[in-house]
Amino acid sequence: METTNAPGPSKSGKDGEEKEENPLFECNICLDTAKDAVVSMCGHLFCWPCLHQWLETRPTRQLCPVCKAAIGKDKVIPLYGRGSNQQEDPRNKVPPRPAGQRSEPETNSGFPGFGFGDGGFHMSFGIGAFPFGFITSTFNPHDQRPSQAARGLPNEDEFISKMFLYVAITFIIWLLLA
Amino acid sequence: MANIAAQRIKREFKEVIKSEEVAKCAIRLELIGDSFTELRGEIGGPPDTPYEGGLFVLEIKIPETYPFNPPKVRFVTKIWHPNISSVTGAICLDILKDQWAAAMTLRTVLLSLQALMASPEPDDPQDAVVAKQFKENEEMFRLTARYWTSEYAGGPNENQDFQRKVQRLIDMGIESDRACVALSAYNWDLERATEQLFS
Repeated sequence: METTNAPGPSKSGKDGEEKEENPLFECNICLDTAKDAVVSMCGHLFCWPCLHQWLETRPTRQLCPVCKAAIGKDKVIPLYGRGSNQQEDPRNKVPPRPAGQRSEPETNSGFPGFGFGDGGFHMSFGIGAFPFGFITSTFNPHDQRPSQAARGLPNEDEFISKMFLYVAITFIIWLLLA
Repeated sequence: MANIAAQRIKREFKEVIKSEEVAKCAIRLELIGDSFTELRGEIGGPPDTPYEGGLFVLEIKIPETYPFNPPKVRFVTKIWHPNISSVTGAICLDILKDQWAAAMTLRTVLLSLQALMASPEPDDPQDAVVAKQFKENEEMFRLTARYWTSEYAGGPNENQDFQRKVQRLIDMGIESDRACVALSAYNWDLERATEQLFS
């Protein structure tokens, strides 16, 4: 885009030939011929990089720049002309989108499957990992045999496990709030 | 400046140049310098309004993030309008703020401003004094706006009475613009305007 337009400052001379390009296929944002073209559900044509930047500029108000209909990344259709070299979805190759963000949905989609298969285990695994040892030792009377054997230090044992419980609870609350 | 902004302005500039509004002398656009960051717009006062016959100059500044953010537009020509500050020329228009859309152009902005001149919105005012006058005494508003058009925008002047009152205040040593503002704000009541100016 930048190189082709660099000799553009000539104001009137180039006028005629440029208009003969195809104004029908101009991006509604940069007014240049649409590159990595996408079309909205309301029928408006954009370069994907242009539209992406528009959506990024107003994340809370995702409206079509032309008609203000609702619009979004999932609500546009990429256009593949015959002349295009690679038939890759333009939405996959916008520079501003970091690679890390793309890997995120994959792990998310894997996780529910894992949790589903393991049923109840998943529940206690997710939340209870930290206080796990404490919960088993406090609420499971059979596990108290060691402390019963060493009757001399039951209070200290209890005190320490309570300490850990509080630490664990604060940690979980902090996790939830963060 | 980001390349997309300069590129857009170049293209829009051509669009305004060739559009038929220019032929009718309704809107004009010219560049200031070579940077494509600042332009000067001109709007002809719409017919059947107090602004008819006037030529209103606008200052247009293009932000680096254009067209994803709106251009900054301000009236340079003084104008008496509920949605335009009579002091600074600041404009209250939604498309220049949160209702901006990237597909809008300088051409549509100028046309929108022309439409705003033709239909003021006194319930969403920029200049409270003007808006109050518009709501309470629309005929007085029209006369005042027409006088301002003749005084500042080169419109025809038919109001000898207002001119005489301004001249009276000038004779008392008041600067012409201040005299005009004071008289306009007090519905051209010479006594009250004088009182306010000397209090």
